[in-house]
Amino acid sequence: MENSTLISIEGLKKHFLTAGGRFTALNGIDLTIGKAEFTGIVGPSGSGKTTLLNIIGSLDSPSEGRVVVLGQSISDLNVKQAALLRRTRLGFIFQSYNLLPVYTVFENVEFPLLLLKPDDNQRRKMVMDSLEWLGLTDKLKSKPAQLSGGECQRVAIARAMVKKPEIVLADEPTANLDAANSHNILKAMVQLNSEFKTTFIFATHDDKVISYLKRKISLVDGKVVKDEITNN
Amino acid sequence: MKLLFKLAAKNLIGAGLRTWLNVIVLSFSFLIIIWHKGLLNGWDRQARNDMVNWETGTGQYWQSSYDPYDPFSLTDSHSKIPTVFDTLSVKGEIAPVLITEGTIYPGGRIQSIIIKGISSEQKVLKLPSAMFLKSNDELPVLIGSKMAHDNGLKPGDEITIRWRDIHGTFDANEMKVIGVFETNVPTVDAGQVWVPLERLQKMMGMPGEATILICGNVDSATLKPAGWKFKSSKELLKSVTDIIKMKAVGGIVLYIILMSLAMLAIFDTQVLSIFRRQKEIGTYIALGMTRSQVVGLFTIEGSLNSVLAALLAAVYGIPILALQASKGLSFAGASKDYGLVVADKIFPVYSIGLVVTTIILIMITTTIVSYLPSRKIAKMKPTEALRGKLQ
Repeated sequence: MENSTLISIEGLKKHFLTAGGRFTALNGIDLTIGKAEFTGIVGPSGSGKTTLLNIIGSLDSPSEGRVVVLGQSISDLNVKQAALLRRTRLGFIFQSYNLLPVYTVFENVEFPLLLLKPDDNQRRKMVMDSLEWLGLTDKLKSKPAQLSGGECQRVAIARAMVKKPEIVLADEPTANLDAANSHNILKAMVQLNSEFKTTFIFATHDDKVISYLKRKISLVDGKVVKDEITNN
Repeated sequence: MKLLFKLAAKNLIGAGLRTWLNVIVLSFSFLIIIWHKGLLNGWDRQARNDMVNWETGTGQYWQSSYDPYDPFSLTDSHSKIPTVFDTLSVKGEIAPVLITEGTIYPGGRIQSIIIKGISSEQKVLKLPSAMFLKSNDELPVLIGSKMAHDNGLKPGDEITIRWRDIHGTFDANEMKVIGVFETNVPTVDAGQVWVPLERLQKMMGMPGEATILICGNVDSATLKPAGWKFKSSKELLKSVTDIIKMKAVGGIVLYIILMSLAMLAIFDTQVLSIFRRQKEIGTYIALGMTRSQVVGLFTIEGSLNSVLAALLAAVYGIPILALQASKGLSFAGASKDYGLVVADKIFPVYSIGLVVTTIILIMITTTIVSYLPSRKIAKMKPTEALRGKLQ
């Protein structure tokens, strides 16, 4: 683990209004996450993992406290600035892959680059590199519906990695995969983490994922109950 | 913006059958609206040409008492043809017409008619008045085909005609039908007979007089003889213009129904799209698009339906419309039955302006209809959208 801090969280609280009143999803989180970490936020359902990940990813904002991601305070970002942060410096991997169904594998991976507007040759090279890392070069023209779950998730990882973001946020990335595919995916992510020094943050309660983590932050009822460095 | 268009086109084509159903429905609207407007344009052009050629000329001078909607005014609506028209009259560039009432007795029935006297030498109207020159009959008449049909008359028939002269005295004679002409203009046909001007002037005791003077060129309008009022072509064609305008207004109802059907399909698709593609919307936002960009993407997707529809309509519509424009559309009998200036065949006229205006109108409407449901995206929480949760 390297020392430079990418994410700094102080006194983070997140409340939601529900039919039954106010629900506190995160209740005073203090954390720092550094460069090249392979960290997991673990805990049972409803513990606040995804909410924390969403706030780090600037998809949601804190109710209280301060969250600084890559030097930018999430609370202070307007809609455009938050979109720019996600577009340029963050990558997302979702449980259900969230691939764009009408696009081919190539186009799905290319999508984040279209928003960044590099020139055509550079874009193509970046897409091909990313697909090569994930072993998907033979699936360029396939559509998501023609791929297996493991392949879809590899495409999603390629899409998250194509712009070489500083942080990748992965929400239950193996929940829809069998054991063999899960391990393949995780090995690929470990390799990318070590090769590109990309910080990976997982929200998971899957033991297979947990077994690969280098740092495990346990969350229960919106509070960090344990923050430990593992032996991986 | 270029990127949004590219993505929208990709999404739209990728949506497959749903897109093509919308596009097909919208292309029908394109085609029918353009066809209907083209038909009205064609009718308008044909009606104007026919009216000018058969009835109005390029303008008319009316004797100051003349009122075509008041038959009683005919008794006093006659004056000497002003001398300023002598040259034009000789050249056949002005057609003096004397109008009066009369009665005929076809098949033992009594039938009120209008008797119109027109110069045999006139070249202003298409009326075959030159036939009078070849006739040696005492009272030769020309009638239109509707008049002939309604009264069972044909060339060579002789029938009694009665009229009142300038002193109010009844007189009668046998007229001989020397010709039956075909025209699309019922107002020179139904219930009237055409006789040589000089003959009618003599019958009426109104030598050198006329009721109206029909002009054959626009220069005639510069003359301002006393006791005569000039009616421009625009005024004379007002009735036909009004009828076509009325038809055009009626056409708007058709357009609204067609557009509503097409727009309903697009609106429905947009609503369904936004409902079904929430995860995709969330993904766009997670990948770095702003919500307004996603709204733009969905709006463009919807409005591109109209672009595809225009292209599709062009593919199958241009041959159909071109064929109709060259072969015409049959409306046989319409002028005779309804008293409208309608040719047996109308040739639709499709101008660039008509096509471009229709396309722009439909595109704007489609964009608005696409935008309305897309606004919902701006209010979506990306975290909820990513989970596909109904918002």
